[in-house]
Amino acid sequence: MNKFSVRLKILSIFLLLTSEAIFSQLKIEITEGIREPIRIAIVPFSQNSSSTQKFKLHSIITKDLESFGEFEAIKSEDMLSYPSNQEEVFYRDWRLLKVNYLLIGSFEESEKDNEIKVSYNIFDISREKRLYTGLISSQSNSWRKLAHRISDRFYQKINGIPGIFTTRIAYIEEPKLQEEKYHLKVSDIDGENNSLVFSSSQPLMSPDWSPDSKKLAYVSFENGFSQIFIQELASGKRQSIKSSGGINSSPSWSPNGRYIAAVLSKSGNPDIYIYDLNKNSWRQVTDHFGIDTEPTWSSNGKKILFTSNRSGSPQIYELTISNGRIKRKTFEGSYNARGRYLPGGRHIALIHRRKGLFHVAIQNIRNGNLKILTDTFLDESPTISPNGNIIIYATKKNQRGILAGITVNNITKFILPSIMGEVREPAWSPLVN
Amino acid sequence: MNGLAVFFALGIALCSVSGCSVGPILEKTSNESQVSSVSAGSYKESVIKSSSTVYFAYDKYNLGEESLREARKIAAQMKKNTSLRIRIEGHCDERGTREYNLALGEKRANAISEILILNGVSSRRVNVVSYGEERPVSPGSNETSWSKNRRAVLKIY
Repeated sequence: MNKFSVRLKILSIFLLLTSEAIFSQLKIEITEGIREPIRIAIVPFSQNSSSTQKFKLHSIITKDLESFGEFEAIKSEDMLSYPSNQEEVFYRDWRLLKVNYLLIGSFEESEKDNEIKVSYNIFDISREKRLYTGLISSQSNSWRKLAHRISDRFYQKINGIPGIFTTRIAYIEEPKLQEEKYHLKVSDIDGENNSLVFSSSQPLMSPDWSPDSKKLAYVSFENGFSQIFIQELASGKRQSIKSSGGINSSPSWSPNGRYIAAVLSKSGNPDIYIYDLNKNSWRQVTDHFGIDTEPTWSSNGKKILFTSNRSGSPQIYELTISNGRIKRKTFEGSYNARGRYLPGGRHIALIHRRKGLFHVAIQNIRNGNLKILTDTFLDESPTISPNGNIIIYATKKNQRGILAGITVNNITKFILPSIMGEVREPAWSPLVN
Repeated sequence: MNGLAVFFALGIALCSVSGCSVGPILEKTSNESQVSSVSAGSYKESVIKSSSTVYFAYDKYNLGEESLREARKIAAQMKKNTSLRIRIEGHCDERGTREYNLALGEKRANAISEILILNGVSSRRVNVVSYGEERPVSPGSNETSWSKNRRAVLKIY
């Protein structure tokens, strides 16, 4: 392992000491990374207005791109020049610094419209070629988002898959003391814009994003039993969906947003049901006296992956909705649960028990090959980045619930420690333009 | 089945033969000074008349001898006093996935509920809730804590 990886020291991360800091804040600390990340240069953006440097676009972009260990940005004081347009770019300067890719840009702020406009260029130094020219604008109060959009574009141009810096993470914060509350929170992937979605003195569970990223479905025990709620993030408006006696849990939004697959135990044991949000009605899709739970949809909405102990131990099964056919997908070991499809549908991420320890693993569902990704041992709730590159999961460190992450290629490992509280059940939002 | 579970199951089997008391029932609280003023069916922590806890083996929901005895005792009590109702809360230790544990916790609570109903208590007086691994009583990540968290809490009100 050490041959291919090297421990990277965490870069100092600027912590905003605003009121947000009283909430737990997630931040990424790389614990194991690539030996030779791609070297990039993000030149401080020039500005065509007199306003002070309040928009530190380049530092946010740098932080984004370095967060998962794939890129290493050279320091701005080491740069030989500070170009802001193509004419000012001398490839030789950047070759000397062994830079592979360069990002330059400029912005102007219009106080009148409360708007900032950014133009930027991405260059491939070795090929002496401009890869992309972008022009974007936004309200000046959402300049962080604008920086994340540039990071996403840069990532996509270099790696050929979408960046995930504009995505968000929902998670549950557990009370440390009995009088404290359970919190459902949402945060940008860099830990900023942390906001509280819902609080309760009773447990909250299983957040799941709507495909448009505007709503969350989750489980709340606020009325003394489990119920599924849907909440709009912008307005805070929430409603429970029709509950029945027993368990109401494990909501999973269908890719088209019309259905929610979930677990009900009204028949006396937990089975998978599908809720139609247009018709406000439930339809049962599995029926077995054992435990059926943890449903999740394939990207085309035709299949549902779920966990069942129908064979005697928890294993992962796949249901074809149209004909009700159910096929077992995991055979290695006696505990495989909470499967999630990776983009492409060929692999699933799951929780696998080996020698009594619970790890995040990946399995090819065609040939059955299973690979354990983590060396932590109480892992839960893996959630996959929408570009399929990264898995974040909940685990324990020093008796505390933390979120940790790993790249699917098993090269970079990181943790997302929170300042306060115990965090669990991360749910990665979809990509939304 | 892992070694621990085998060991535990064996322990229970031996105990039921020899009559030793490996205590599945540890805690008992009583709150009898409280008078129930709440209409039948509703439940509040404040109206619990008595509560007891039974424990389970890892990844199992079958009842040991002690737990069975406790369930039968409660059934007898509820048959005698027909105004009593019961809320059974099923719980798990932290190992394994949360949603699977929620289902497992319900199986545990249902195992008690079935004994009550078999012994003549109307199902309408029995209320089952699973909390899965969401409400541990002992926070540690070791067998001592885990064994305390794998439980069903029987709250009579």
